[in-house]
Amino acid sequence: MTLNLCVLTPNRIVWDSEVKEIILSTNSGQIGVLPNHAPIATAVDIGILRIRLNDQWVTMALMGGFARIGNNKITILVNDAEKSSDIDPEEAKQTLEIAEANLS
Amino acid sequence: MSCSNLTMLVSSKPSLSDASNLSFRSVLNPFQLPSQNSPSCSLSRSSVTPVQCGLRELRTRIESVKNTQKITEAMKLVAAAKVRRAQEAVVNGRPFSETLVEVLYNINEQLQTEDIDVPLTKVRPVKKVALVVCTGDRGLCGGFNNNIIKKAEARIAELKDLGLDYTIISVGKKGNSYFLRRPYIPVDRFLEGGSLPTAKEAQAIADDAFSLFISEEVDKVELLYTKFVSLVKSDPVIHTLLPLSPKGEICDINGNCVDAADDEFFRLTTKEGKLTVERDAVRTKTEDYSAILEFEQDPVQILDALLPLYLNSQVLRALQESLASELAARMSAMSSATDNAVELKKNLSIVYNRERQAKITGEILEIVAGANALQ
Repeated sequence: MTLNLCVLTPNRIVWDSEVKEIILSTNSGQIGVLPNHAPIATAVDIGILRIRLNDQWVTMALMGGFARIGNNKITILVNDAEKSSDIDPEEAKQTLEIAEANLS
Repeated sequence: MSCSNLTMLVSSKPSLSDASNLSFRSVLNPFQLPSQNSPSCSLSRSSVTPVQCGLRELRTRIESVKNTQKITEAMKLVAAAKVRRAQEAVVNGRPFSETLVEVLYNINEQLQTEDIDVPLTKVRPVKKVALVVCTGDRGLCGGFNNNIIKKAEARIAELKDLGLDYTIISVGKKGNSYFLRRPYIPVDRFLEGGSLPTAKEAQAIADDAFSLFISEEVDKVELLYTKFVSLVKSDPVIHTLLPLSPKGEICDINGNCVDAADDEFFRLTTKEGKLTVERDAVRTKTEDYSAILEFEQDPVQILDALLPLYLNSQVLRALQESLASELAARMSAMSSATDNAVELKKNLSIVYNRERQAKITGEILEIVAGANALQ
């Protein structure tokens, strides 16, 4: 029994395939979802989504949104999502420094 | 070198079937060889624009018209290719908005009994209105940018009449330059659209509208964009972006509300061998969801998370529609420019040929006259 995960942003589908387990950060803490989870609807905070496929963890950054967990079907609607493999650490570090400078 | 003076009248649309339409009058005076070296002839079409010519100048003109034609043809094809991409972007965004609408419906059903207070849906007495104006970045798209700006000015006049204050959020280079030149119109922010509107840009606009509304600086946010109707027709429309209706309906300023589940999208097809774009109306299926859906947080928090997503997708849809209208306008403008170039080239070629033939005739006459004089 596998979960079907759909991560949708307003302009593209980021992820649409089967997974074994996910760990999602919501407004009220992190929740882990295994197959046959009870149906819930929750708001998603800006954070990291961890996806397990066959003992391998894939991570994705989510920019906040909403998640609905139904009959072994998870739909996550977010404003933006980026797979960790698509993120360049150097560029991210520079963006972080610029953002911190803008804050202060 | 001298040529005789020729005056010709050629009707601009000579139809071969109607020979009487083709009025052709040539005045050729063989023995009047003007001593002055001014080879000028004029072509008057029914639009009466005399074309000053010399053979070389005509040739350069024909060349330049040919190049212009190539450019306008290429621009039309590029616009057509971009319409296809814009179409794909809309299609890609559909799963998101469909799911959002489903969830919104569900939550509203479940929350109908409760009294919810979400700041984004709060209806306040209106004192100040923010107007988000979506224009294009480049020109050469017919009346597209002008229509939007005219509509914006009309709306501003309406708001002034009602005694309401207003501010503008301008998206797109054309709108930006228009409002920059008019400092008497208060502008909140200038934003640039990219070549293809992404969620990031929609987010920037949505964030701005959001902060203005929440901080109670404005009481209503309206979105002004061009709705794509058909290849030759596009309508600037004004939709109320904020306050949102909790059901997710899309309302325009006259209060006509469209259900969020009704969606229309456009696609590029061919009709009678010509590229055209058509609209399709689709309604999302909203099934009755299982009532056991439990909320992890309380409903207000969930709606708080959902409604900004909805705002984002609305703004993105508006940007995409605007882009599609701009591309369609550019396609039809460039297509008519190409047709004009073809016609102009044909007319210029006719004049060139007559000029050339007249020159040859003149030279022959010279030779004959010279030969006769020798006898």
